[in-house]
Amino acid sequence: MTAAPDPRDRDGHYISPEGYDAAEALQELDRRDLDAPTRRLVWRRFRRNRLALASGALLAFLYLALPFAGFFAPYDPAQRNADAIFKPPQAIHFLTAGRFAVTYPMVSELDLETFTPRFAADTGDPRPVRFVARCGPDWTAAFVVRTNLRLICPPEGADLNLLGTDRLGRDVLSRLVIGAQLSLTVGLIGVAISFAIGMVLGGLAGYFGGLADAAVSRAIEIVRSLPELPIWLALSAAIPPAWGPVSVFLMISVILGLLDWPGLARAVRSKFLALREEEYVRAAELMGASTGRIIGRHMMPNFTSHLVASATLSIPSMILGETALSLLGLGLRPPAVSWGLMLNDALDLTAVEIYPWLLAPMLPVFVVVLAFSFLGDGLRDALDPYS
Amino acid sequence: MMMTFARRLAAAAVALALALPAGAEAPVLQPEVAAGRLPPMAERLPSEALVVDPAARGRVAGRQGGTLRMIFGRARDIRLMVVYGYARLVGYDADYRLQPDILRAVEVEDGRVFTLHLRAGHRWSDGHPFTAEDFRYWWEDVANDPDLSPSGPPDFMLAGGKPPVFTILSDTAVRFAWDAPNPRFLPALAQARDPFIYRPAHYLRAFHARYADAAALAPLIAAEKVRNWAQLHNKFDEMYNFDNPALPTLQPWVNTTPSNNQRYLLVRNPFYHRVDLRGTQLPYIDRIEISIAAGGLVASKVTLGETDLQVRGLSFADAPVLKRGEATGGYVTRLWRSGVASEIALYPNLNYVDPGFRALFRDVRFRRALSLAADRRAVNKSIYFGMAEERANAALPASPFFDPAAATAFAAQDLAQANALLDEIGLTQRAADGVRLLPDGRRLEIVIEGAGERPEEADAVELLTEAWREAGIRVIWRPLDRDILRNAAYRGEAMMPVWYGWDNGIPTADTPPDGLAPVDQANFSWPMWGQHFQTGGAAGEAPDLPAAQELLDLYRQWNATADARGRAEIWRRMLAIHADQVFAIGLVSGVPQPVAVSRRLMNVPAEAVYAWDPGAHMGVHRMDEFFFAE
Repeated sequence: MTAAPDPRDRDGHYISPEGYDAAEALQELDRRDLDAPTRRLVWRRFRRNRLALASGALLAFLYLALPFAGFFAPYDPAQRNADAIFKPPQAIHFLTAGRFAVTYPMVSELDLETFTPRFAADTGDPRPVRFVARCGPDWTAAFVVRTNLRLICPPEGADLNLLGTDRLGRDVLSRLVIGAQLSLTVGLIGVAISFAIGMVLGGLAGYFGGLADAAVSRAIEIVRSLPELPIWLALSAAIPPAWGPVSVFLMISVILGLLDWPGLARAVRSKFLALREEEYVRAAELMGASTGRIIGRHMMPNFTSHLVASATLSIPSMILGETALSLLGLGLRPPAVSWGLMLNDALDLTAVEIYPWLLAPMLPVFVVVLAFSFLGDGLRDALDPYS
Repeated sequence: MMMTFARRLAAAAVALALALPAGAEAPVLQPEVAAGRLPPMAERLPSEALVVDPAARGRVAGRQGGTLRMIFGRARDIRLMVVYGYARLVGYDADYRLQPDILRAVEVEDGRVFTLHLRAGHRWSDGHPFTAEDFRYWWEDVANDPDLSPSGPPDFMLAGGKPPVFTILSDTAVRFAWDAPNPRFLPALAQARDPFIYRPAHYLRAFHARYADAAALAPLIAAEKVRNWAQLHNKFDEMYNFDNPALPTLQPWVNTTPSNNQRYLLVRNPFYHRVDLRGTQLPYIDRIEISIAAGGLVASKVTLGETDLQVRGLSFADAPVLKRGEATGGYVTRLWRSGVASEIALYPNLNYVDPGFRALFRDVRFRRALSLAADRRAVNKSIYFGMAEERANAALPASPFFDPAAATAFAAQDLAQANALLDEIGLTQRAADGVRLLPDGRRLEIVIEGAGERPEEADAVELLTEAWREAGIRVIWRPLDRDILRNAAYRGEAMMPVWYGWDNGIPTADTPPDGLAPVDQANFSWPMWGQHFQTGGAAGEAPDLPAAQELLDLYRQWNATADARGRAEIWRRMLAIHADQVFAIGLVSGVPQPVAVSRRLMNVPAEAVYAWDPGAHMGVHRMDEFFFAE
């Protein structure tokens, strides 16, 4: 402390030369909030919504785990077992028979009274279940590494179908896990494409108006007036039959995305038309900001909440709609594995009454759809931090 | 030979028509008879009624009464009641032999002169006599009327391309005389889809320009909103479609409801020509109530007890649900066997557009290799719980032509032999993933197209994919709509459709071998050759494969052979060619078909074959003898 003593301070305390305003000091905390970068504000707001946070964490985990899905699947999803058709879910018995975890071999025979296979566990023959071990055929982790390391390994000489098996004796749990890869990704592509096109074209029309607006608006009307069914029929004839089911579906979701953008483009256009007249946009223009900056920094944040809401709304229909076009040979179809396909197989009375475990994919669909909704809800609130 | 056949038919009929016992009047008709609206039973029955002995077939004589409920899928399925009713001039019996039914007897000379004897006193369901005039009306005024039949009489009425000479011998006897043998004639009359070579002349004349005034027809034409009298006539002349309640019939039950989407009620035909040994007039059941419901709902409706006899709309996959619902639904589930030659069969298209693959499909070694590489056991075990038969597309055991060697020819999985055959063809090059390469370097990828209606098909193809991979063949499954598939096949663009095997798995010497020869474009093996035959050479291509030419040749021979033994011999040769050539790769046959039967319903066979033709689904099992126990 080298400053000269202030003549007013008889005790020799330091006094700020700028003086002190008590009211300003009270606002200081708030000011720091208001001046903080938007992303920090968004995050701070988002964090307060526990449900959205949990949903986001769950979805992040699911998507990060997708490349390693094989690790969580005890079996190869296509592996059939003719001796275990329609096997009900099996349990792991912990701390039994002197082992940490065991399961029992199951023997099936056809019950001619009910026409269903009957399974009996051989409880005298406990087999140890291995965790984080090597078994079964190799799977590809993250598109590069081949390995057969799995979280749960069925014991030697016995099966372990934690969620039962389907009509060809395939492990439902493994199919569920592997099915997530397609269900959570391929359908998203169509949505991503339609969003990209819709935002760009709608933005151009709304921001520039005039000729651009007229061109985009007419294009929207033309695309919307195209009849959908004949287009799909034409596509079903045009797609080379030798393509695998996944590439067909990928192609179709791309095309659907290319046809599906007008709704969003219209919403974006009207929002832009309204926002363009706002004073802060005018101010930014007068200060010489570039078009890109005005759109990106000043206008976009104002309707991201709308975009997020419509995106999360379209995800449930996407997951369930995978198989909708199968009739025309365009939807996902075997041997691809997805939740929509599994549910499609379970859409009859037999599954509900006799083999209820075939409805297992309902749970992840339910959870994922809800998670996306909660996440979208939280994001929408958080993205409007000043409200 | 033909004379013995004729004698057998006549003798069987006469033996049954010996004496008419006097039975009791049906309770439901008693008020009608008492009120004088209906003549008593003795006057309603033909004096030469067909007397059946249920006991001879392990059945019991029943009692009249009750309402039988069934569910059909679409409004126009009401025509199935003509199929189920199965009153035919001649029909198949339980052993698939032709027997006179509506006719008292049939005499056949040289396989070309057919004399049909009606039952004296036989009447239409409206009480009008059924006579030779009804045959004449059909032959002269319908089949040979240029407005009603622009393309002339149906195929089975032509022998060597020429129509018969029709003669009325008496009120109860008519004769069709061809120059050449016509073996198709009697089987056609016994079909599930009866061609009806007789029509109720007394009813239809009112709509025929030859008999009705133009002035009388004009208001009818206007009222029915049709363009001309021919359309008017066709609209009322719906013997098979069965949706004109005013049209008289000879079937056991008469439809009383015009076409609709909800419900049909059929009542007993008071003039039906069959009685049991005790003199009780058939059918035993008074009424049949048909509801229309979507296919997916049939099983659940059965378990709720909403039907008394159901086979339509049920498949083996429904069996567990049916079994579980037996107590609440008050029925039992029986397993009949499907009568198609193969439940799931693959048809390598010999007319496929791509020359490389076409040459391959035409190589018998390739087809044999495909068949040898298929894992039928897995299909049977996984899809049918092992209850089907692992056989090629061949005659079923119920057929006199059943040959265990043909049924299992190239049908046991033998990957080593399959691979050896493929190597022998020259498909030795392989891609990195083990898929064989065609000589032109393309991958051996086979697209299997299906109608996408049966989940079993998709499962079977999935199992096949695995098995054929071992032989270096990649399979791509492509479910299509039924019509899209058919059109693709007709153009030669379908590579290897999956479908049923031959419709008729129980052929006899009398069965026309239509499914086995290249005569129909709907056969996925050879759509172009079939077109060529059907259009008389105007479209498609002539068969150029020796085996197919031989089949066509044998087919022509069959059509010209009067002698049943000769026709049987032709059948055997055709079946042998198919067994050797593997034109269609059948996977399983004799698949169990669940039938839900009310606990109160009697005389329904416990085990039976369920087939369209011959068999008419329920037809050969004689629904008119089913009855409700007290």
